[in-house]
Amino acid sequence: MALLTQSQALSLERKFDIIVIVAAFTGTVAGYHIHQMLTVGDWDFWLDWKDRRWWVTLTPILLITFPAATQYFMWEKMRLPIGATFCVMTLHFGQWMNRVFNFYMWAWFPVTFTTPGLMIPSAIFLDVTLMMTGSYMFTALFGGMGWSLLFYPSNWTWLAPFHLAVKHPSGPLMSIADLMGMEYVRSATPEYIRIVERGTLRTFGRDVTPVSSFFAGFISGIIYLWWVWMGKVISRPVWLSRT
Amino acid sequence: MAQYRTEAAPAKRAESAEQMFGWGTFFKCQVAISIFYILIRIYQQYFSWSKGLDFFSEDFRVYWWNMLIGELIIEASVLTFTLGYIWKTRDRNLDRITPEEELRRFWGLGMWIVTFAWAVYWGASFFTEQDGTWHQTVIRDTDFTPSHIIEFYLSYPIYIIIGINAYMWARTRLPLFAKAHSLPFILTVGGPAMIFVNVALNEWGHTFWIMEELFVAPLHWGFVTLGWCLFGVYGVAAAMCPRIVELLKITSDNKIVAGWASKSAS
Repeated sequence: MALLTQSQALSLERKFDIIVIVAAFTGTVAGYHIHQMLTVGDWDFWLDWKDRRWWVTLTPILLITFPAATQYFMWEKMRLPIGATFCVMTLHFGQWMNRVFNFYMWAWFPVTFTTPGLMIPSAIFLDVTLMMTGSYMFTALFGGMGWSLLFYPSNWTWLAPFHLAVKHPSGPLMSIADLMGMEYVRSATPEYIRIVERGTLRTFGRDVTPVSSFFAGFISGIIYLWWVWMGKVISRPVWLSRT
Repeated sequence: MAQYRTEAAPAKRAESAEQMFGWGTFFKCQVAISIFYILIRIYQQYFSWSKGLDFFSEDFRVYWWNMLIGELIIEASVLTFTLGYIWKTRDRNLDRITPEEELRRFWGLGMWIVTFAWAVYWGASFFTEQDGTWHQTVIRDTDFTPSHIIEFYLSYPIYIIIGINAYMWARTRLPLFAKAHSLPFILTVGGPAMIFVNVALNEWGHTFWIMEELFVAPLHWGFVTLGWCLFGVYGVAAAMCPRIVELLKITSDNKIVAGWASKSAS
């Protein structure tokens, strides 16, 4: 006599699905978050570091990694076109847990200083591109570009008020975000490594944002393909010293 | 201490499927870890800023240094005991295991992996970025700050202990993992374990040439590459799922309509 009835077997299969989903979610939070905080984190921690040059360039390039590898696994093994969105949701979970419970409730940095960048529209675009084309090459070319180009507009709505110009009492004209960063001292982030508004083409002002985003899109496509390959390698059940 | 014997497996048939594949262990493990870390976080809230700012003070010794010594001793003891227990109670007749028992053990491995992943979340995500908030606020004085004592020497060893035990459990109880070493499984457990080792490089570097806490500094990139190893969990799933589907079919007289997992078998 069989141990399981058909309904019990189906129920157990769903239980195993839940185990895989929960393990993948929490494991991805850990891996993606440590990747994010130690490669692009500083630009995403601080309001005044979310500038229109480095932030929009580095963030998409460095954050397309895990979505690409996860897309490979989910698309090839499960035909689920949600790899990028899944990854970004895990990252947002990890980030918000920290911004609220640690940056705010432990170190008392106001949440508006440390609100993480929003990546969900970019992730949805990347997933939809893969779903519609079924091609990693097209996803790299168009999805990677859209991933980067959508990043800044997605965040502009909540960032806009912090870009308003104010005059500091000591003289210089700066954005509200820069003023907040200047007035609220972060002990271990010395001023000489702040890269806000440093560049040789300041005359072009706000127009550097799309240029930075297009460049990020170009590099993101390359990184995407590399990480799809990494996803392919790592998700194979390779065995050592089989006996 | 009872041995884990295959001969006893037929007795498991007496259990209902609900008993064999229940959620009790799942919730106990996740809730226990969560409550433990919430209490630790509350301890930090109370004593980090008031007792933890001066490494050379008596308060620091009482509230933090003693905690560091205690947690390291307990962790070493727990790892030794649990590994010894798992090895001592290993199944010596894996070739005679029944499909029902094998399926039940895959369920047990699922509990191990979920618990490991949840523990890694607390260590690599929650307490790691929390360390950033500390360093943005307090000038780095020594390698043993209140945030490091929780992050490096508590949360990292805990997930390492769970991960090594999970690997050893699978190795000694499941034929699939007993026959050979799973490279994705080794990466999943080994990469995050090496994050703990990389702490030595990190602290040495901060001690000698980089006092500032720039999170994106190249000094920290070792942690990143080791964090990538967590992708191995997909490879572990790819190895487990086809066998689980096979076992589901066998134990249900081939009545199951295979779902997504069968895709990975094809």
